Amino acid sequence: MANIVLDKLVKRFGKQVAVNELSLEIKDREFVAILGPSGCGKTTTMNMISGLLKPDAGTVRFDGSVMNNIPPGKRGVGFMFQNYAVFTYLSVYDNIAFGLRIRKMETEQIDKEVQEVARLLQIRHLLSMPASNLSINDMQKVALARSMVVKPQIFLLDEPLSNLDAALRNVMRAELKKIQQELGQTTVYVTHDQVEAMSLADRIAVMNFAVLQQYDAPHNIYNRPKNLFVANFIGSPTINFFEGRYRGGEFNLKDFSAGKMSVSKENKKQVDDSIRGEDIVLGIRPEHLKVGSSRDGVSGLKAKIVSVEPLGSKTIVYMHPDGNPSAILKSSMDSDFKPKIGEMTSLIINEKNLYLFDKKSADLVMRFGS
Amino acid sequence: MASIRLENITKKFKNTTAVNNISLMIADGEFFCILGPPGAGKTTLLRIIVGLEKPDEGSVIIGDDAVNEIHPSKRDISMIFQNLALYPDKTVFENIAFPLRQQKIEDEEIEKRVVEVAKHLKIDWLFEKIPSQLSGGERQRVAIGRAIVRQPKAYLMDEPLSNLDALLRLEMRVALKELQTNLKETFVYVTHDQVEALSMGDRIAVLNQGKLQQVDDPAIIYRMPNNMFVATILGNPPMNFLKCLLRRKNGTLQIEHAAFTLNSEDKKVFSLLKAGVGATGIVLGFRPEDIKIHLSKPGTVSIPAEIYVTEPLGSETIVDIKLGDNVIKVLAPPDFVGEPGQSVWITANTHKLHLFDESSHECVFHATEKSAFTIEA
Amino acid sequence: MEQKLYVKVLKFFLIVFVTMLFFFPIYWIFSMAFKPFPEWTAAGGKIYWFPNNPTFNNFRAIFSRKLEMSPIAGTAIRPILNSLTVSIIGTAIAMVVGIFAAYGISRYKAGGNLPFMLLQLRMFPPIAIIIPIMIMWAFLRMIDTWYGLAIIYGVVTLPFSVWLMKTFFDDIPKELDEAAIVDGCSNIGAFFKVVMPLAKGGIASSALFVFILNWSDFLIALILTDRRWTTIPVHISKLQSAMVGALYGPKAALGMIAAVPPIVFGILIQKYLVRGFTFGAIKK
Repeated sequence: MANIVLDKLVKRFGKQVAVNELSLEIKDREFVAILGPSGCGKTTTMNMISGLLKPDAGTVRFDGSVMNNIPPGKRGVGFMFQNYAVFTYLSVYDNIAFGLRIRKMETEQIDKEVQEVARLLQIRHLLSMPASNLSINDMQKVALARSMVVKPQIFLLDEPLSNLDAALRNVMRAELKKIQQELGQTTVYVTHDQVEAMSLADRIAVMNFAVLQQYDAPHNIYNRPKNLFVANFIGSPTINFFEGRYRGGEFNLKDFSAGKMSVSKENKKQVDDSIRGEDIVLGIRPEHLKVGSSRDGVSGLKAKIVSVEPLGSKTIVYMHPDGNPSAILKSSMDSDFKPKIGEMTSLIINEKNLYLFDKKSADLVMRFGS
Repeated sequence: MASIRLENITKKFKNTTAVNNISLMIADGEFFCILGPPGAGKTTLLRIIVGLEKPDEGSVIIGDDAVNEIHPSKRDISMIFQNLALYPDKTVFENIAFPLRQQKIEDEEIEKRVVEVAKHLKIDWLFEKIPSQLSGGERQRVAIGRAIVRQPKAYLMDEPLSNLDALLRLEMRVALKELQTNLKETFVYVTHDQVEALSMGDRIAVLNQGKLQQVDDPAIIYRMPNNMFVATILGNPPMNFLKCLLRRKNGTLQIEHAAFTLNSEDKKVFSLLKAGVGATGIVLGFRPEDIKIHLSKPGTVSIPAEIYVTEPLGSETIVDIKLGDNVIKVLAPPDFVGEPGQSVWITANTHKLHLFDESSHECVFHATEKSAFTIEA
Repeated sequence: MEQKLYVKVLKFFLIVFVTMLFFFPIYWIFSMAFKPFPEWTAAGGKIYWFPNNPTFNNFRAIFSRKLEMSPIAGTAIRPILNSLTVSIIGTAIAMVVGIFAAYGISRYKAGGNLPFMLLQLRMFPPIAIIIPIMIMWAFLRMIDTWYGLAIIYGVVTLPFSVWLMKTFFDDIPKELDEAAIVDGCSNIGAFFKVVMPLAKGGIASSALFVFILNWSDFLIALILTDRRWTTIPVHISKLQSAMVGALYGPKAALGMIAAVPPIVFGILIQKYLVRGFTFGAIKK
């Protein structure tokens, strides 16, 4: 049982600030994902939790006790890295038993623990195999088993699924979540893949340029992103942005030849109150931006269809807005939608799905429909 | 402008057969995708078309000419490599001009054509730079420029977008498809990414272990996969498979799983039983979007199950459902809420089910509106 | 981690000490070359750390027609020209053959494992094979000829040039040649138009390496030359006198002159050298 508190952590490499005043509280039994593009400081943060790196300022606390000067081996954390260190000269069994033997556990007890973990990860049939003969996928499971078997209170995972093929990544994602829910260790998971973060975590810490952008439940991160970066980073296909100005209850969007969109009466006051400057960015997720003419909420905005992605379960339509052929809009439609490439079409936007950002600060200032 | 025809192409490297007796017809002006996992032989196939590898057997026909014995430099095909292979010491201008320089074209003409292509790709302001000074997207455009400047008979591309980040990849995907729509030339595009294949290809050839699995329109490959491999490689999350037993009972045919039974009266399914298919068992396949989850028991026939784990993605939620000893993935709306262990009921779109032979992995039956199954819990 | 002060000081002195250890021989040959006779002989057991009375006498001595103190060695002009001739031609042979061989091995896996077995032969110490070679060369009447020496230099350094060049070609992505071929080049055209310009740095640094090997050879030149085609190292060894023994002053002077060509060559190709050494870093 352990909670983790990071208090104003700072880490510099030379002049480069890798992590800047990061404060994060991870509850006992919580699954937290640290999400960000490469170089955002997520792995550095993880290494400070594990003790591989010493923070330049700030404290790391486990259950209230300061860990800054405790070496990694004594912190009671289990790691699993991107390139899983499996000893290829040992059998799978010996690999998994390795950490237990170091802890001088009795042979019978070791056997019990190894069998239990192997059952959980469905690798019992592999136990007697030499680790060098494993496929990458199985190797991943062995690495996971090895770090799980010592029952650490805190489990640190650094992009553990990134070397797997797509099919297995799907399966392992669900397995990982299931295992964590069963064992209930506090888990910190570093990834650059928003799908993994969204699907696995109880809460997500989104980082960019060494700074924490938002720390919240997946649902809130998706629906109430704090700024343009978070909005853009979460969701696939990515959110659509329309730059423009707001004046007198009306948006004027730059990328469209007829880009006027007026705000409904109910929302006008709220927009007037929350707006910070005339220059704004409107955001709308692809699943809320529809194409066609027959439905309600036709916005008067026009776009030209340039590409269609029939993904089987849905169809993604790519468009250029009629005033800017280098911008790309994405719309997620039902799979039976059959658009014509090159066709000029109307955009259907329901006001309640809009996100309103201030352009200058990039912050979300208002979420329509909430 | 040319079609490309492959006849019984086989290529072996030492003990492995990289390409195994493949015949393909790629039509003039078609955007043709070759999809397969790493090691499927798709790059080898591409290299055989362009001439960088010689097939051990079979012939390559471009337009009306067999080109087996023709040197790649004379085949008049351009290729974009996975790492782009821009000449690192040459400027952007010289990179694009390179293929023209080999044809002994006059300098003025070269300049005219390079400028025209570069303008079209919006890279004409980069002429003096060398590749290491360019961003990923710019490099991509230079590689495309070098490929289109000499107006070849066909364009071959070997995973050209795999080194880009997600956002740029999307942009380039749209740009490539637009380019092909405008040029109306033959494109052969190799990829391991099903999204690229589905979104760009007029037709897709699925390859595995050197063998051709299926060639067809993206929609048909998705709806009617030839075998379990094709069913898995397309779609994310991929198709679910459940091992079932096939048997006859009271004049109907039953497909039995621990959690449910499917009945069919279709003659085709009966003939399967006669042919001895699925003697050990049969595999039922269905896509995650063809299953519906109900939190309370619906009026229609439904199968009781239990939630294993949920994976919210924001725009939708993947729900892993425990069905007997199996776990299946189901797509649910974004606002779906459920706890692991919670009881649910599922219904299936019974005309979108597939049956596969367990030993050969071949698809033996696609359900349709006319020949749908009926479910018994 | 912050370093303690004494660790820093200790590190500093260690670095200074090792640096001095490396530079002392260079300084010593430089100072000897300008010392007058009494100082370089260190007569009376006194060691002169600096040339107290700098002089060009040692240089004058080695270029005089007849060295007063040593009747066997003549003027050094001829050995210097000899060294330049045979080293340059030997290097040219090793490089031209080496580049093509290395490219073939790198790209087309020419010869299978044979090239590496041949490379291993180079591990033989030259002394083990020089006697049979001498007999062969004597039979072919190539002893004491420029071509006899140049050929053996080319042959002896060829494995090095092949080995070095192969690693440089291996670093150039194969797709570049293939792209050039698809773009309309013949195989050899792709080599000259795309690969060669990229390997310039590698070629230059290999050439320098091979040149230095040839330039500093003593054993082969000693055995395969006699009077007309002696090289600088052999000539230096001949700078002896019955009266004073080894003529260290003139030896140092000639040694300094011998250091000039590799340095000049090195400076000329410096631009490529840096590139050659960091070649791995420039590719993606």
